[in-house]
Amino acid sequence: MAQELKVTARHVDPVMVLDLQGDVTMFAEAELTRSYHLAVDNGARELVLNFAGTDYINSAGIAIIISLLTEARASGVSLVISGLSSHYQKIFRMVGLTQYAEVFDTVDDAVRELKSRTTAEPA
Amino acid sequence: MSSEKRIIHLHIPSELGYEKVAMGAARSVAQAMGFSGDRILDLQTAVAEACTNAMEHGNLLNAAQRVEVVMTVEENALAIDVNDKGADAHFAEPQIYDHNKHRGMGMYIIKQLVDEVQWSSRPQGGQVRMVIYLEPKEDAEN
Repeated sequence: MAQELKVTARHVDPVMVLDLQGDVTMFAEAELTRSYHLAVDNGARELVLNFAGTDYINSAGIAIIISLLTEARASGVSLVISGLSSHYQKIFRMVGLTQYAEVFDTVDDAVRELKSRTTAEPA
Repeated sequence: MSSEKRIIHLHIPSELGYEKVAMGAARSVAQAMGFSGDRILDLQTAVAEACTNAMEHGNLLNAAQRVEVVMTVEENALAIDVNDKGADAHFAEPQIYDHNKHRGMGMYIIKQLVDEVQWSSRPQGGQVRMVIYLEPKEDAEN
C-alpha cells in the first residue's frame, strides 16, 4: 500500500541533488539518512532534497527531514528543499520547517542559488 | 449529491500505508460535495494524520485491530470520525509540538487544516472528529 521511497543522487557540479521518488513517511528513514550520509561522506557540502517525485509526506516523514536538516546545519552542510507542491509548502511552513531550510519551487532554482553562493565565496 | 445526510463507514487495518485508502475515500466524497482542490488536499492530509495516529498510538499497529473511519455528509459540511480501540486514549491539546515527537506534530497539522476538531477518549477507544465546511465559518473579526 505504501509507496517505498527511492532516492537517486546526481551531481550538478558543485551541488549534489537527491531526487526523492515515493512516500516520505517513517518507512523512508533508512533510505533518506543513508543517501544523505553517503553524499556527505563523498564530500558533498551543497545538497538539494528534491521532492518533485513525491506526492505523500506525513508528519513522521517531516520529522525525519527536520532531523537531517538539523544535522546538516550542525556540520556546516547547506541542505535546501525543492519540488514541493504548494500544499506541502504550506504544511512545511505550518510546522516551522522553513526555519531550518530554504525552500525553492524547482530544483533548478535551488541549484542555481547554491551555485551562486559557492562562486561568490572567496577562494 | 442530495442534501440528505449520508454516512459512509470504512474499516482499515492498523498497518501504516492503509491510511491512503481513507485519504482516497475522503477525496471522493469531498469532490462529490464540491469542495475546492486545496480544501480536499487539506482534508486528505488531516485524515492521513488522524488514521496513522489511531493505528500507531490507539491500536499499537496491531493489523488485526481496525481503524474505523466514519464520514458524515451534511448539507454544508463533511464530518469525519476516526475511531481506534485504544484502551488508554489520552490527548494533549496540540497547540505546540516537539519536533522529535511527530504525533504532536500530526495533531497540530490536523488542527490547522480543518474547521473543527475534537479529540476524545471513549470506553471503546479514542476518537478524532474533524469537520470541514463547504463555506468556511466566518472568522470572529469578520
